Amino acid sequence: MMRRWFGRAIAIATVLAIQAQPAFAYLEFGVTAGGNQVKLKWPQAAVRYLVTNAGVANVSVADFQAAIGRAFGSWEAVPTASITYQFGGLTAAIPGRDDGLTTLGFQNRPDLDRVLAATSFVVDAATGALVESDIFFNSAFPWSVAPGGEANRFDLESIALHEIGHLSGLGHSALGETELRAGGGRLVTAAEAVMFPIAYAVGSIAGRTLKADDIAGISDLYPTGDATSVYGSLSGRVTKDGAPIFGAHVIAFDPVTQTVIGSFTLNAQGQFSIGAIPPGPRILRVEPLDDAEIDSFFDGSRTVDINFRVAFSDRIVIVPRGGDSGEVAINVVAK
Amino acid sequence: MALLALVFLASGSRDAAAQGVLEFGRLEISAGAVWLGSRTFGSASATETTPSGGSFSLFNTSSEVGGAAAFDARVGVRVAGTLVVEADATFARPELRVTIANDVENAPSITAVERLQQYMIGGGATWYLPRPSRIVPFVTGGGGYLRQLHDRGLLVETGTYFQVGGGVLYLLSSHPGNRLKATGIRADVRAVILNGGVSFDGDRHTAPAAAASFFVRF
Repeated sequence: MMRRWFGRAIAIATVLAIQAQPAFAYLEFGVTAGGNQVKLKWPQAAVRYLVTNAGVANVSVADFQAAIGRAFGSWEAVPTASITYQFGGLTAAIPGRDDGLTTLGFQNRPDLDRVLAATSFVVDAATGALVESDIFFNSAFPWSVAPGGEANRFDLESIALHEIGHLSGLGHSALGETELRAGGGRLVTAAEAVMFPIAYAVGSIAGRTLKADDIAGISDLYPTGDATSVYGSLSGRVTKDGAPIFGAHVIAFDPVTQTVIGSFTLNAQGQFSIGAIPPGPRILRVEPLDDAEIDSFFDGSRTVDINFRVAFSDRIVIVPRGGDSGEVAINVVAK
Repeated sequence: MALLALVFLASGSRDAAAQGVLEFGRLEISAGAVWLGSRTFGSASATETTPSGGSFSLFNTSSEVGGAAAFDARVGVRVAGTLVVEADATFARPELRVTIANDVENAPSITAVERLQQYMIGGGATWYLPRPSRIVPFVTGGGGYLRQLHDRGLLVETGTYFQVGGGVLYLLSSHPGNRLKATGIRADVRAVILNGGVSFDGDRHTAPAAAASFFVRF
């Protein structure tokens, strides 16, 4: 067994994360098990979770449980994903302990002054299957469960939605824009994925709604029976002056639904793949990964190329039903 | 309404007119070319959500299916007077174009392109103005099934179409009493209304069309 942590940051990139290496797709965790790279996911369809019986200022235990329940409900409501979650009751267990219980609760960690919440995993090293996953919410920060949010407080449901994405096996998405703050760190100006690594500022409740990118990710990990025949995928390769590049952020825009889904080039061949997406035409855009800290997405052993200009594919890429687009080649040029 | 008025005006002289349209024949077969005009789908934006729930634009797109030449074949059977019921098939390879502009990181504007295969298979009716002349005006209307294939059939989108228009027929030759009754050229303009198929905005779209074909009558 091994325990790994992944967190959501405030203002600057997470400092707590020990990241699994992305495996086959854009926003999923991968682990090495038995010498093979496998997707990190739950082996069972229903994930049972417990909630700690301790509230914090402004958030009672009942409020906490209700907000967590709404966040689990949002993931469970994705029609093309089969994963479900079961509330197992309140507990005195502490998140982060290897006790075989998936526990969500508050912990006071003022030392982690950039981490709002974090998710840890216990993984079966032989199979790569998830055994346990805990989430702690840092009570050193001010929290809110008010329906419309509260000024100067972080929205608990939004942060829980992000962490439950991790708990389910999703990594970070790069679909977001940030600007550097004078005092250090980054401020989110916009995001189109709950799984963007940096949270919206206090008072915002914009992070309560799953986006197309999140839905594609969870559907790719836990597809329903008919999703694999109805949905398709697109794949391709990004090169710079003919040489493949690693870590390029690829955005697929659907001009019909006006939604965006992101991915990365994830191997030495510069290849990317986006699965579990509705069939239809897509516009592909490639950009450097420069709106969050690179270690929010990849571990330090990988060199990510961010020295290139944004470029679009000159062909409309078609996602078929139940199949793949075939490789799309996109060339970028250095800045 | 205009079609009904023409039918009414013509009804009193149907027999004479049928003679006047120069050995009208029973069966008409034609083949030719059609120019199908473009249809636009408006603009769209790739956006992200701001902390207040607003939109932040990454880039904008405007989309269209471009105009294209098509091959058109038609078989008609005269059912009464100068009224012909027809079956027709059209094949075209128009370009689907998406122009991308206003990128937030100043990427150069570009037009992404894909060539479609488009089949229109349907039927309709054509009514020829009964007049004793080599040049015969007509009105036509009909509809059918639209099938558009992306990327050599990787994805199929279907819909329906309706068309209405009018034109003129020019008789090149007539052979009274022969099996081959006549040959000629037919030219028309139409408004083609497409429902479904490739349509980014989900709306019904109208495109102009102009056709010219060679026909034979039996």
